[in-house]
Amino acid sequence: MSKSMKFQVLLCCSVFLFCGFSRYEKPKNTEGTVILKFNNLFNKEALDFEKAYTNAHGEKVKFTLLNYFISNIKLTKEDGSTYAVPQDSSYFLVKQSDPASKEITLNHIPSGKYSALTFTIGVDSLRNTMGIGSRTGALDVGATAKGMYWVWNSGYIFFKLEGTSPAAPEKQKNVFNYHIGGFGGYRSKTMNNIKTRTLAFKPVVVSNRKGPVIDINVEIDHFFDQVNPIKIAEKSSVMWGEFSTKISENYVSIFNLGNVSSK
Amino acid sequence: MFKHKKVLISLCISAYLAISAFQISNIQRTFFKPEIPSNFPPPVYELKANPLTEEGIELGRTLFYDPILSSDGSTSCGSCHQQFAAFAHQDHPMSHGVDNQFGRRNALPLFNLLFSKTFFWDGGVHSLDFSPLNALENEVELNEQLDNVLKKLNDSEEYRDKFKKAFGVSEITSKVFLQSLTQFMATLVSANSRYDKFIRNEGGLLTAEEKEGLELFEQKCSSCHATGLFTDGSFRNNGVPNNYRFDKGREEITLNASDRGKYKVPSLRNIEFTAPYMHDGSISSLEKVLDHYTSGVEQSATLDPLLKQNNQPGLAITDPEKKKIIAFLMTLSDREFITDKRFSEPELFLNTPKPNEKNHSHTNNR
Repeated sequence: MSKSMKFQVLLCCSVFLFCGFSRYEKPKNTEGTVILKFNNLFNKEALDFEKAYTNAHGEKVKFTLLNYFISNIKLTKEDGSTYAVPQDSSYFLVKQSDPASKEITLNHIPSGKYSALTFTIGVDSLRNTMGIGSRTGALDVGATAKGMYWVWNSGYIFFKLEGTSPAAPEKQKNVFNYHIGGFGGYRSKTMNNIKTRTLAFKPVVVSNRKGPVIDINVEIDHFFDQVNPIKIAEKSSVMWGEFSTKISENYVSIFNLGNVSSK
Repeated sequence: MFKHKKVLISLCISAYLAISAFQISNIQRTFFKPEIPSNFPPPVYELKANPLTEEGIELGRTLFYDPILSSDGSTSCGSCHQQFAAFAHQDHPMSHGVDNQFGRRNALPLFNLLFSKTFFWDGGVHSLDFSPLNALENEVELNEQLDNVLKKLNDSEEYRDKFKKAFGVSEITSKVFLQSLTQFMATLVSANSRYDKFIRNEGGLLTAEEKEGLELFEQKCSSCHATGLFTDGSFRNNGVPNNYRFDKGREEITLNASDRGKYKVPSLRNIEFTAPYMHDGSISSLEKVLDHYTSGVEQSATLDPLLKQNNQPGLAITDPEKKKIIAFLMTLSDREFITDKRFSEPELFLNTPKPNEKNHSHTNNR
């Protein structure tokens, strides 16, 4: 080993070790975690793709796909001050088919007593207009977000529900599909279906010990009747069109508070 | 002693890792600064977010011409965007993708994309990075899925190597895949026509007829086809007959009835090479295009007001004026651009048979 190589190796080792040490962070006393659990339900029971259900309009339904984006999460303290999760780590895609995706762990939440949670169902306008370099993780259209993006009309699909029902047209193989997006447009104003939901709860403590778990119940049975009646027989396929606004008005209000536990 | 050995081994391992990490981050790349023509507006695309490199551009060119991007390996971007046609699809009112299926609009030429605010006839895509996806995932074009393309590319040692050299990554993701295509497309700048050399005082000469054509063009055409890029990037209904049953134009994006039948004003650069014309490729020659503007403009609720005179649809242009305008339009041909080797199909694809070209029948074209 030549002298310069020895030096190089030594240098690299020390750099490497140094990097290793500096990356190690002691958990700070001033921050903790919050866990959000999304429970997709139908008639108060866990949604099951194998089961057949009947919606409020008497239509028999089976579901095959349910995905939605949750983003721009904010927590409000008892005193009214808010903490916004840093935007780059505030995009999540919840998929019924992927149990792990239904539990979101938020790290580095400043300690304190929190009494409300705010989140967007969908993806904010700004992110919808950014270059490909800002579309990583949950927003990667070639990986996690496959099928959740319109390529001909640039923008994310915020909420996607698919299934079969005898009420859906036979020529459509009894399939119904609701693909709801629309961030308001970039060069011209277009439809905006970005919805924000705030859920208030009895104050819970975030400390360095154990994070509270906030259950969010997503009542898919009320997708069809919460605000506007959505009958599969009348609207079995809704994507980019006026009616999608009515659907987004429904789904925003099916995200409701479940249990809030301090563990 | 044993303890020392263990320390030594772990030191060696960490040194090795450190060196390899150092090498990955220290790949040799040659940065490329695209030349912005002095008679152009500033670029719209944010180059800072995706700095062009020789390696990235070359990789983008390879991808552009590689039919691996289509579901059946038959069609590449270059199949419908041909260099000799200024990257439009010559003689094809509609292009055919996999299984010889036809689209519903004429393939737009590709050049000066860095300066474009929106993409496609209806402007549905607003970032150059995302423009290839539209063709890639359209079932009558390349009929592929992005994740599957990435899988095919990651399975190829050659591509993994090229991506490593261009972007320093060991895995090909949608980010670097689309960035490399953008890098190639960003270099497709066409600004060396005889008109450009005339307007920039670079020794280009226009004949008396061409100069008169330029004057007429400025009076009658340039409010939409603004000189420089030869488009103002707006969406307008130019009165091409359309019953809107199959194509509502910009309205499909904005869902606004006032946008019915509006399409992006196309650039007139290289118009000599890009026939047929209009969003549906329904007009085969420039003479007929000008005839359309004088006598073929169809009245409709959204017809562009500039195409009405005294409440009558159509422009007043005499036959001798039309001839002069066409003479001028011919000066917008950039032969350097359509023959530039840097934009041509890489040799590695030239000898591979293309099923699509062999089988397709032109009788299908309307």
